[in-house]
Amino acid sequence: MKHSFIDKYSNLDSPVHRIDPRVKLVAVFSVIVIIVSEAPGAVFPFIFYGAIIALLIFISRIPLSYIMKRCLIAAPFILLAALLYPVSSIISQGYQSFGLSNPEVKAGLTILLKGFMALILLILLTSTEKFHNLLLGLRKLKMPKLLGVISALMYRYVFIIHDEMLRTTRARDSRTPGRLTISRLKVYGNQSAMIFLRSLERSQIIYNSMLSRGFDGNFPGMQSLALRGKDVIAATVFVLLVLTVRLTNSNINCYSFN
Amino acid sequence: MHISDGIIDTNICIVANVASVALVYATGKKTPIDDIPKMGMMGAALFVASLIHFPLAGTSIHLGLFGVAGIILGKRAFPAIFAALLFQSLIFQHGGLVTLGVNALNMGAGAFAAWLIWRIKVLPESLRAVLAGFFGIIVPVLLMSAEFHFSGYGRGIFFLFSVYLVAAVIESIISFSVVRFFRNIKPELLD
Repeated sequence: MKHSFIDKYSNLDSPVHRIDPRVKLVAVFSVIVIIVSEAPGAVFPFIFYGAIIALLIFISRIPLSYIMKRCLIAAPFILLAALLYPVSSIISQGYQSFGLSNPEVKAGLTILLKGFMALILLILLTSTEKFHNLLLGLRKLKMPKLLGVISALMYRYVFIIHDEMLRTTRARDSRTPGRLTISRLKVYGNQSAMIFLRSLERSQIIYNSMLSRGFDGNFPGMQSLALRGKDVIAATVFVLLVLTVRLTNSNINCYSFN
Repeated sequence: MHISDGIIDTNICIVANVASVALVYATGKKTPIDDIPKMGMMGAALFVASLIHFPLAGTSIHLGLFGVAGIILGKRAFPAIFAALLFQSLIFQHGGLVTLGVNALNMGAGAFAAWLIWRIKVLPESLRAVLAGFFGIIVPVLLMSAEFHFSGYGRGIFFLFSVYLVAAVIESIISFSVVRFFRNIKPELLD
């Protein structure tokens, strides 16, 4: 399986890459919470959020084309949700009310902006850190041990299962080409069960051998993390900058209503 | 079905995240060591299953397998689903980080409903498999519609529901097929 797209740019060297994964996780989570808490209809503050995120992209040296390409994967989900507001407006009030001044249309636009800003932040997080370091960061942030083990195993199994899927898909398509029918759906079901069975047997063998070598839920060889003061300062500045925009906008809205 | 960040109300996300973490602890405690590779495998399988697309009316939909997860893992499907969603969110941005708890609750509820249906032994096995597959999708969609409703979306959510109704029917046939396959090849997985 070609999986170079996972952590593709995590080997680059930039100030963002060098930040401790725990700090990055907490900062990105906080900033996403701040951005998504914007009220429906707010559009103006996203210019500032966009500028801050653009600066972050510039510092991280992640190519913009790569971020755009990754955005396309989740774009349909965000677009669909953003369209629900205007669609609801058309259903209840008809086409006459449709326009940029319509609060439902503005709310849809806010959803679109929130969705894409959060998405870009998530892409930046995963592109500037190796996946196993993110898992380690989550473990250090007290993620339940069971989740840590399952996630780490998943990271190892998913490539095996994906290869298995590609092989069985090729076999399925060569044997049952054509349109989707009920009988063909059964073939899809058999394929899923087959992938599951083959992978389960293999995963049990792997896990048993891990246990026999003394595996206790911790992955040896994983580097330990060292929290640096300048990482915390950089992340705090980033979060405070976004929070300032958020609070300033709240105050402007507050005054405009009064 | 993966709700991205910024789509639904932040308060709903916070409550769902707290509830999800509590459920991970509650359903994952005292997990037998033999179940751990199965859970990791199921999580990975859920992810890979989402890569199997069906051509449908000019577009395509993908498998969820929450019903099958519920049948095989029972209540322990929840931690597996949570881990799978975390993985999908971080690697492919399928679903957000702040909405992780919401997505886990939705899909975990589907698997839980499937498990409850699977335990009704008075019904024929094939019917239980079909219903588990169907409700494995419908329950998450109902929850998702409710979350959209409470986030201020209007009647547009009915459009969303109708899209997933077709997916639920397809999933029920897949679930039936998977159960029949396991019954013939590896019945101990179902008992």
